[in-house]
Amino acid sequence: MSKHDLLIIGAGLAGLRAAVEGVRQGLNVAVITKVHPVRSHSNAAQGGINAALTDRGDDWRDHALATIKGSDYLADQDAVEVMCREAGEAIIELENMGVIFSRDDDGKLGTRAFGGQKKARTYFVGAITGSALLHVLYEQSVKYNLHIYEEWFVTKLIKQDGKIAGAIAFDIKTGQMELITAKAVVLATGGAGRVFEPSTNALICTGDGLSLAMQVGAPVMDTEMIQYHPTTLAGNGILLSEAARGDGAYLINSEGDRFMEKYAPDYMELASRDVVSRAEQTEIDEGRGVDGCVYLDLRHLGKKFIEERLGYLQEVALEFRGIDLSESPIPIKPGMHYIMGGIKTDLDGATNIPGLYAAGECANVSVHGANRLGANSLLDTIVFGRRAAVNSVDYIKSSNSVDIDERELSKEKSRIQNILDRPKGMRSAELRNKMGSTMTKGIGVWRDKNSISEAITKMKDLRGQLPNVSIENKGKVFNTDLVSYLELEFMVDVAESICQGADMRLESRGAHFRTDMKTRNDSDWLKHTLVQFEGEELNTTTSDVTITDWQPTERVY
Amino acid sequence: MKFAFYPGCVARGAAPELYKSTMLVVDKLGIELEEIEKAACTGAGVLQEKNQKLGDVLNIRTLALAEEMGLSIMTICSTCQGVISQANHRVVNNPEYLEEINKELEKEGLHYSGKTEVKHLLWILLEDIGIKTLQDMFNIDLSGFNFAPFYGCYLIRPSDALGLTKNPERKHSLDIVIESTGASATDYAGKTKCCGFPILLINQKNSLKMVAKHTGDAKDEGADAMVTPCPLCHLNLDGYQAKARRQNKRGKADLPILHLPQLIGMAMGLDPKELGINKHLVSTAAFIKSIKTKVA
Amino acid sequence: MEAQIKVKRFNPENESESFYQDYSLDVAEDSTILDGLIKIREEIDGTLALRCSCRASICGSCSMKVNGSAKLVCKTRIKEVSPNGELVTVEPMGNFPVIKDLVTDMDLFWSKVKSVDPYVKTNFEPEAEHIASNESMTHLLGVMNCIMCGACVSECTALEVDPTFTGPAALAKAYRFVADPRDEEKKSRLGKLNENSGVWDCTRCLACVEVCPKDVAPMERIVKMRDLAIEEGYTNTSGFRHTESFNDSIKKHGRLDETRLALESTGLLNISGLIDLAVIGIKSLFKGKIPPPLPHKPKEADKVTSIAKRLDSQEKEE
Repeated sequence: MSKHDLLIIGAGLAGLRAAVEGVRQGLNVAVITKVHPVRSHSNAAQGGINAALTDRGDDWRDHALATIKGSDYLADQDAVEVMCREAGEAIIELENMGVIFSRDDDGKLGTRAFGGQKKARTYFVGAITGSALLHVLYEQSVKYNLHIYEEWFVTKLIKQDGKIAGAIAFDIKTGQMELITAKAVVLATGGAGRVFEPSTNALICTGDGLSLAMQVGAPVMDTEMIQYHPTTLAGNGILLSEAARGDGAYLINSEGDRFMEKYAPDYMELASRDVVSRAEQTEIDEGRGVDGCVYLDLRHLGKKFIEERLGYLQEVALEFRGIDLSESPIPIKPGMHYIMGGIKTDLDGATNIPGLYAAGECANVSVHGANRLGANSLLDTIVFGRRAAVNSVDYIKSSNSVDIDERELSKEKSRIQNILDRPKGMRSAELRNKMGSTMTKGIGVWRDKNSISEAITKMKDLRGQLPNVSIENKGKVFNTDLVSYLELEFMVDVAESICQGADMRLESRGAHFRTDMKTRNDSDWLKHTLVQFEGEELNTTTSDVTITDWQPTERVY
Repeated sequence: MKFAFYPGCVARGAAPELYKSTMLVVDKLGIELEEIEKAACTGAGVLQEKNQKLGDVLNIRTLALAEEMGLSIMTICSTCQGVISQANHRVVNNPEYLEEINKELEKEGLHYSGKTEVKHLLWILLEDIGIKTLQDMFNIDLSGFNFAPFYGCYLIRPSDALGLTKNPERKHSLDIVIESTGASATDYAGKTKCCGFPILLINQKNSLKMVAKHTGDAKDEGADAMVTPCPLCHLNLDGYQAKARRQNKRGKADLPILHLPQLIGMAMGLDPKELGINKHLVSTAAFIKSIKTKVA
Repeated sequence: MEAQIKVKRFNPENESESFYQDYSLDVAEDSTILDGLIKIREEIDGTLALRCSCRASICGSCSMKVNGSAKLVCKTRIKEVSPNGELVTVEPMGNFPVIKDLVTDMDLFWSKVKSVDPYVKTNFEPEAEHIASNESMTHLLGVMNCIMCGACVSECTALEVDPTFTGPAALAKAYRFVADPRDEEKKSRLGKLNENSGVWDCTRCLACVEVCPKDVAPMERIVKMRDLAIEEGYTNTSGFRHTESFNDSIKKHGRLDETRLALESTGLLNISGLIDLAVIGIKSLFKGKIPPPLPHKPKEADKVTSIAKRLDSQEKEE
């Protein structure tokens, strides 16, 4: 049995930032990750990271307002204040760690414009900001000699005497399963995009942390808030960064018009993502699209500019569509991208379970509310990853070491063996594909009572069919067949929570747009939705939104 | 058919048999050559390490000299071919850089427009002469023989500078030419790998491991000889084969290494001694005998 | 359309040897090889092991050999390598031990990356960023594009014969720090890279440049570091002597003086090396293969010399 002070599940930006902080704070830290750290999905973030640097004439309160407005007033304003206030320090620290941020003519950090903000405060590295940040955090993990359980899969969190005691995980490379004791656990497992199909998300984004947390009694909040990113490729869902629009690209319909004029005359292509996605979908639904898409046009930016600032987009366009962005517009459509919802935490990453923390996309503080601004996610991971680790220090120092009952391990080993021993049934991919299409249809850019109810019923059926899934690969070494099934189990918890949240919220707010309830209803629904397991059943409640200085008003772009 | 001839340094230096066999073969092929007498060494990538621009100027100068002659360039060395092609590719895609280089060349009264082609004899056989015509010139049927092709890195990488996307046959050109003689081309792992010559004088141990591996593997797969269009590869594979195979326990040096024109010349019925095949360090006596038996 | 994919399999729990397995599947016209492999795994053969994640050529998980050469299969269309339905052979990356099927053991790869101290070494300035030109940061974008997929390592001809070579991926990563104006350890980094298994072991075969899916051009970074090491005064290598001799030769004669090159690279005090050369030299002499004592010069070689002089002084100014 391995023992650590702080166990971090997930080695993306939030996980690694928390880990580095934990080491700096003198804790015995370990990170457990199902892929090598640099393979984490943080690497797919492209556009940039927001920060208001006050010594350059920017005001964090301006950033906070943009974020709160972007969230359609569902964000907890104290959390937004924390994030925006700490952003400047976070950026400077990242630069010091070695991030190769773009510079202005004076050699200082340079910015680009981004969605939902009038002032350009997005710091970036070409169109590979997420990758650049992740690689630097990985470098820091090497510098600090961080202990990493690389390619280990967590199957269960252990709670003992009402407190978190550690986790059970197995080494994907050998099948060896172990009990890992920890005084505190930070969940940093990222998003759950694979619940939908298509999605911009990697195949590893299966919402593991959300399910792990729910299984020990933590609630997930605002799970109906699913962000559809305006510019994704049809079919495979691959992302083309908002940075293109930030750098001046246009959105045009089949008639060659910059249609955002009709929907957001002030912010145009840089309105909040939910507004832009709905605009695009309307154009498509009303016959002004082509093959279910509209166009992203970068031609006027010029080849050299595109290659220097948006190189990765050019690569994607050429490789996946055979299109040169300097010569031709590219067909795009709204695609599932991010889950604003997640494990409910306080300002310091703590959940309602002593010793259990969460940070990054899997958590919901809430800073993003009903819609996330572009370039706020990278900031979220860095700020709250750090805070979770810092916050855990006192708790860890005042905790006694726990010994987990060995029977937990044998129980879990049996459970897994039983799954492996199932007689030939259906493949997990069959259920996963069904989930993907159902959820996209039911909880899409548009949703209504019928689509949501159908999704609820189908997901319930799907859960019922889980025991019929068999694993063809009976081996111990790199059994991705088994891993896929275990991920599917996690995804079902997440899918059902998403459906429950959507069913509960009887209004339209941010990304949750109901065609049967099109307006925002602050008097009844300026609340967070909460979904939690009560025994085997999902229970729903609400909680208040923290308002500080910014009273909710009409949201116009 | 006339070409501006760029023989390279080694054909005039440590591998004079390459120069001689080339001359004999082009005569039979009906290719007229005019040597670019003022051309400098390409730098072989080593010069470029220290001063990229100097390397580019010297190679663009060579192209300009050929342009002045109104001819395309023929090379007989993979390394020369690669280095000149890379320089050509760099300026053709960057008109500003070409202008910079032309400023230097103008001091000598030269100018490069970017339109001159540079082709290895191997590609000329395939693209300008054509396999059918080539076969008509062969007097000897080499079927039953097995020759291992060894391309040389700079003839096959990088593909964009060498026009391999436009002319994909070039990727298999040596196999095709070997097979045109009736012989079969050995299928072994090393044919597109590195011979180790660039590190011979830097890390001899690794260099010889490469020689041992490629010649050993080819021999194991039944090769009677190895054919290479690069005299630098030849120097290593031939000159150091004995030491390499001994050091790496791959048996004796028993794989003759032929220059491309020597293979062509042999198939045309030319005397192996005239082609300089007897000048190699790895003994070719037995091999020459087996060819002579074929003839008879 | 129908795709024929042949996959190299290996299961350490069952077999001691690898074998090939053929799969025939129906896929969309624009399917990638990864689409095909996932389809095999999900619908035909759940035992197939491979690493994949982002599907968008940014995570670096899915590098494997396709028809003998490493590629990211998520961005390689089946039609690209098999325009008329030809068999596509998929194998694990070369130069790596295999864990199972297409999954390779990357431990040595990562330890080589760690060996170059892969983090910026600079004084922490909490108040503000280090000032750096946009040009210097954009220059690093080229190496920052590296997603550590291992394709270069798979095809490296030097690694194939010498697994101790640091390798193209780790060396390209090293360049990222050497060329970072904020890093304060440039000299010592170059000193270390100048040693055994470092920058001078690259054969300059261009295999890494050819296969890199992100245009990182590792070989060019390695070559640049050789130059930078020389600039920092690290001249105690045969590599340095080799480069100097070659350069001098061309500048003086316009052509390569092979004999001098061989002697100077070996080092005039390197007795055993010189004896070695002499052996080859004598053998060559007997065959009439010794280059002429005065190398064959091009006509008007003085023109070459003056170009070289001019460009050398230009470079010194920069």
